[in-house]
Amino acid sequence: MSAASTVVQAGPEQPPPAAAPRDGRGPARRRRFGPVALYLPALVLVALVSVFPIGYALRLSVYRTRALRTVEFIGWDNFATVLGPAGWADIARTFVYVAVSLLLAVPLGLGLAVLLNKQIRFVRLFRVVILLPWVVSQTVAALLWKWLLNGQYGPLHGVFGGEGPLASTWGSMASLIVVNVWLSYPLATILCLAALQTVPAEQIEASRVDGCTPRQSFFLVVVPAIRSTLLILVIMLTLLYFNMVTLVYTLTGGGPFSGTQVLSLNAFLQSFQFFKIGIGAAYSVVLFVLNIVFGVAYIRVLKGKNDA
Amino acid sequence: MPDTLTGPATSTGARTSGSPAAAPRDAARRSPATGRLSRARRAGIYLGLLAASGFAVLPLLWGLSTSLKPESTVLATPVRWIPEHLTLENYEAVLFHSQIPLNLLNSVIVSVVTVLVTLVIAVPAAYSAARYRFRGKAGLLFFILMTSMVPGIAVLVPLYYLAVKLGVYDTYVVMIVIYSAWQVPTIVWILRGFFESIPVEIEEAGRVDGMSAAGAFLRLVLPLAKPGLGAAAIITFVYVWNDYLIASTFVSDPDLRLISVGLYTYLTQYGTVWGQLTAAVMVTLLPMIIAFVLFERRLVAGLSAGASKG
Repeated sequence: MSAASTVVQAGPEQPPPAAAPRDGRGPARRRRFGPVALYLPALVLVALVSVFPIGYALRLSVYRTRALRTVEFIGWDNFATVLGPAGWADIARTFVYVAVSLLLAVPLGLGLAVLLNKQIRFVRLFRVVILLPWVVSQTVAALLWKWLLNGQYGPLHGVFGGEGPLASTWGSMASLIVVNVWLSYPLATILCLAALQTVPAEQIEASRVDGCTPRQSFFLVVVPAIRSTLLILVIMLTLLYFNMVTLVYTLTGGGPFSGTQVLSLNAFLQSFQFFKIGIGAAYSVVLFVLNIVFGVAYIRVLKGKNDA
Repeated sequence: MPDTLTGPATSTGARTSGSPAAAPRDAARRSPATGRLSRARRAGIYLGLLAASGFAVLPLLWGLSTSLKPESTVLATPVRWIPEHLTLENYEAVLFHSQIPLNLLNSVIVSVVTVLVTLVIAVPAAYSAARYRFRGKAGLLFFILMTSMVPGIAVLVPLYYLAVKLGVYDTYVVMIVIYSAWQVPTIVWILRGFFESIPVEIEEAGRVDGMSAAGAFLRLVLPLAKPGLGAAAIITFVYVWNDYLIASTFVSDPDLRLISVGLYTYLTQYGTVWGQLTAAVMVTLLPMIIAFVLFERRLVAGLSAGASKG
């Protein structure tokens, strides 16, 4: 959270148009508290549902628990389990899962956005069809892909042969990543498409007149212009992937042989299937730390580039 | 896996050429991103789009195909993409002899109320973020955004205790509150960019004409922000409709189940009845697909208007 202080910029109060709480207080007070008061509902809500519970989870993570009750304070013991050999395997799998998914989903999303931004026939139809997986839930995606990939009756039987990809550890990790990309590239495409439409066409034409190849004008003009959208996208996807439980749970359940057991899934399984809520809390705290580290790192890059 | 894609990709191609009505109008509206395209480039673009369309619809088509097969032929080999005998018996079972319609109704109620609550809470914060400066504002905004980094799974157990303690376990309310809280940071972020793109002079003119600040906001700014509000509403709606974790943790009463949980229950109850399961999946997808086709253009337009200033 150290970055919080670096982004605080104390600005002079801007005079009205003031927000008007209708309780008829003096204009001076109104000016000072009105803008803050507008934040209050949002603050109360996130404090109740996110901040207070994460504090409680931090507390749980240093207790031994039995059957949903805290038994005794044990300090870092839960974390010793999580950061032990088994936990490290989970962390390594998480990184593979997140990194490969990002490397596939972001270029795919951007590439499709570029194609869908062209002036061609049927583009609206293509847009609807290609963005369709966006409305599919993780549960449904897992069910449909499981049915598609199954080795015995699936239509891809001939492609994979034998037992299907979900039977091996590498195959199921690969399948998990493919399904994950299938679910999340539409978000990338939507955001990139929205950003691409704000890039002035004259700017691109000017670069072409100056002798850029289409490829050069894409990387030298378009990509820099939508850089902040790309970074926001990477933040959103990273958080989504790190915290994804439902898809993994429904598609592979972490198996076979723990081949797809990622941190978020283990946090869920420990808490809700084995009822070891202390260990589960420790897993989710590690996850929280990863979220913060990556979130803040991306934000720093974003702010640093914008200031420059 | 390009090999697997060629089959359905061509079949989509056949379908696309069947309905040319929508395209030219759309093409005419758009500003050209590049100049005229050569034939080869054009062919490449279509090829790419067809391949992507194939990837997008492959599992959906296979599900659709299965849902239309009689149970006896679902597991038949060799595999048939187009069923030999079409039947609606699976749909009949899902629509008239299962909890799925009730689950759908629950999902609609919870999604719509969550969208309203999220907007009512996020709009003032986003507006304040876009218009006013005060000491600590950046920190406040950062704090709200940071809460979206709290993993959902981390707060599930504490929230469960809290819900039981407050007596809201097994209610619509608990789901709506949690969904709203998790969507507010994102929506504040999106809407802030939107309000910033609306010129402040519009409000000032309204104030000169004797409107109150609230009046100027409600009558002048809010109507202009409609595309942004629309995009925010769609994003929130899809999120709630698709969530499984909250819906499965905070509700155990079958009459309050949301659709994602309903589907999962269906899977565990009738695990091997793929015909009915895929029919249930298609039934839950249909409203979303219709809504998406109707609002898709507004979503992209809404987001791009906000992004131009974000």
